[in-house]
Amino acid sequence: MLAEIGAVTLGLAFVVSLYAILASVMGEVRHRTAWVLSGRNAALLTLPLLAISTGALLVALVTEQYQISYVWSVSDPTTPLFYRITALWGSQRGSLLFWCVLMALFAFGAIVLNWKSDRRLMPIAIAAMMAVLAFFVGITFFMENPFTRWWLDPSTMREVDTLLIPPGVVAPDQAALAATAQGLNPLLRHFGMIIHPPMLYLGFVGFVVPFAFAVAALASGDLTTNWIKATRRWTLVAWLFLSLGLILGGRWAYDVLGWGGYWGWDPVENAAFLPWLVGTAFLHSVMIQEKRGMLKVWNMALVIMTFSAVMFGTFATRSGVIQSVHSFARSEIGWPMLLFWAGMTLVAGALLVWRWQRGELRDEHPFVGLLSRESLFVMNNVIFMALTVAIFWGSFGAPITASLFFNQEITLGVEYFMLVTPPLFALMYLLMGVAPLSAWSAMSLRRMGASLMWPLLLTAATLFVIVLTSELNTPVSVLAYGLVFMAGYVALYETARGVWVRRRAHRESVWLALRRLYGRNQRRYGGYIVHLGIVVIGIGVIGSTIFQLETRRTLQINETQRIDRQYELRLDGLQQGISADNRELIVAAMTVFRDGREVARIQPRIDNFPNMPMTIAGAHSTLEKDFYVLLTGYDTERGIASFKVYINPLVNLVWWGGLVLILGTVLAAWPKEIVPETVRRTRKVNSLAGEMA
Amino acid sequence: MRRVWVALAVLLLAVPTFAQRLITEDDVTRVAERLYCPVCENIPLDDCGTAACIVWKQEIAEMLVAGMSDEQIIANFVARYGEKVAGVPLDDTLRMLAFIMPLIGLLLASIAAALTFTNWEKRKQTPQAAPQPSAAHDDYRQQFERDV
Repeated sequence: MLAEIGAVTLGLAFVVSLYAILASVMGEVRHRTAWVLSGRNAALLTLPLLAISTGALLVALVTEQYQISYVWSVSDPTTPLFYRITALWGSQRGSLLFWCVLMALFAFGAIVLNWKSDRRLMPIAIAAMMAVLAFFVGITFFMENPFTRWWLDPSTMREVDTLLIPPGVVAPDQAALAATAQGLNPLLRHFGMIIHPPMLYLGFVGFVVPFAFAVAALASGDLTTNWIKATRRWTLVAWLFLSLGLILGGRWAYDVLGWGGYWGWDPVENAAFLPWLVGTAFLHSVMIQEKRGMLKVWNMALVIMTFSAVMFGTFATRSGVIQSVHSFARSEIGWPMLLFWAGMTLVAGALLVWRWQRGELRDEHPFVGLLSRESLFVMNNVIFMALTVAIFWGSFGAPITASLFFNQEITLGVEYFMLVTPPLFALMYLLMGVAPLSAWSAMSLRRMGASLMWPLLLTAATLFVIVLTSELNTPVSVLAYGLVFMAGYVALYETARGVWVRRRAHRESVWLALRRLYGRNQRRYGGYIVHLGIVVIGIGVIGSTIFQLETRRTLQINETQRIDRQYELRLDGLQQGISADNRELIVAAMTVFRDGREVARIQPRIDNFPNMPMTIAGAHSTLEKDFYVLLTGYDTERGIASFKVYINPLVNLVWWGGLVLILGTVLAAWPKEIVPETVRRTRKVNSLAGEMA
Repeated sequence: MRRVWVALAVLLLAVPTFAQRLITEDDVTRVAERLYCPVCENIPLDDCGTAACIVWKQEIAEMLVAGMSDEQIIANFVARYGEKVAGVPLDDTLRMLAFIMPLIGLLLASIAAALTFTNWEKRKQTPQAAPQPSAAHDDYRQQFERDV
């Protein structure tokens, strides 16, 4: 019954989303309000339909309905309840359905919240959102249906996995199905991996909303900043989730993948990073259009590119064309997805070119100087686009070109990315340190220099302390830290200056001035907190990349080896056993010494799941550094084991910086009603008067 | 799978023998990090746990013992398995192809930015009065009020 409910509601969601497209477009073209309303209602209906469908699959997972082949493939009787729920996105079919329900949720939110304020844009925006939803619901229903079931043909005794019940078949024995159920992929049994996919999906589907409004603006001819105002918060929310997804993905890789790092420049990893880069460029560039009415074409192009990068990232992960620990198995949905991606990008691009040629996207203000904020934001966009091109080229462009035109398969690995991207990231931090000090429309070199003085002095003082007291002081690292600290001090200095001005003008306390500063321009000051988060991440990345120590060691039980000047490692014992969920565990008990004193007992281990071994690190973690050990080989009979040992300085700042970044984005995106003090006072008086009456 | 881990252990425990001939496990890692598994796409040889990769790491150790340099070992692997196993292609044309595009990308983006600035300059209708700084703080205050 659950399979029928899930499949029927999924099919209905497909039909309803197609109807929503048709009704919205017809309503817009023929100016029929009834059609537009009908399209809106149909679009709203997709959420409950997909929620029921997803709910049916969840209930099937929780109640162990192994006849549904998806349940059979991602769980087994030993799977705990928590992992049964997260198994919803544990494999291609379930995660596609989950993608659809999240997309419907975003569409629902955008329609409800923007209906009144952006009435003119809504019909085409709904049609664009529903086009994306209809495509994904369509491929889920027709190609990757999670509600297919196992049936047994008694005449041949063969089991078939189908959506519709073939004639003459019977349901297989539930106990037999439970005995052969495959269980959840071991790599997905980690907190980071439980949260990482939903966050990434939310980020991906979230960027569909600004794209839909941009297409609506291009199609309807409303090319003012209305579409930007309508989607400002949606863009920030999508960016927030995408950032969270990337950070959690890094944490998962660090804890579970067993290579001592958090970013491997893997093509699928990079595919998720590309929309973040283009989206970040858009978040900056869009401010120029809002404030100065400039860069209209570029902003449209950026929002189309962000959507395109989202679709490409989804294609890279789901088609199975690219092999990676991050991707799903090879699937037939690759070609349809590629065609849809190309089609939507071409349609949106064609609309943009059409409006551009008609001269409807002209800048409203003249250029006023290279040091103005708009100019520096354009330079910021150059850096983000160069990073996007370099990473896309290294991950996909170069291997495909070499294969097509040189008949050679090539890999561009860490060496390529570590050569190409650091100078661009350095320029990004340089701009982060200069742009916030500039002003809209004009900025003189003298004023810029005066504003830079304090952040420069603070940066020089910090570098001086680092060089004197720390080991992390090679020329490259000092230069890199200089740029990063400069960006951080500028963000702090700008906030402090704002507080100081308010205190002088309004005689407020520091706390009140700070609160009101954020209240009056939460995007700007939330943005500075985001900058601080990026600065903290930068400090962590530089420390853990330039100064990472990696060594392989082989130890006998009770043997102690020196790892570096500070650390020693002792192997205390090796244990082998079987866990409750049938994994073979090999655990090394070890003691970590720092400067001769015992500081931690760690247990790196290997979990041998059927067909998949996992190396789980043992780590002694402090804010200063991680002492991170992987068990790579063992001989329990001889009491000997080999290890990969990493010392990762400042790596935890990557996660802490991520938290700061999230906090800043939440502050910047937090909804608020701007009500002037005088109006608030009048309202209070009126309400009191009403009570008295 | 257990066999793989035992084999891995045997390999790694054997490397100290090489250590007596001046190479360490870290020397093998240094080279293996620059190579990619020819079988498993996009996985560095150093991180790959397949039986084939264990044998290849052993070959690296033997080549180091034989006195081959890191570059010679990588060239040897490329000659046998193709450019795909190197983190960056050794062939000059492919290497240029790999590195030229990011430069072209940066160049094109810079040209686009320059064109944007030029376009803005052309549109400048009336010269804007340059800001007349009085006291630096008042200046900042005006800018601040305008921004917020």
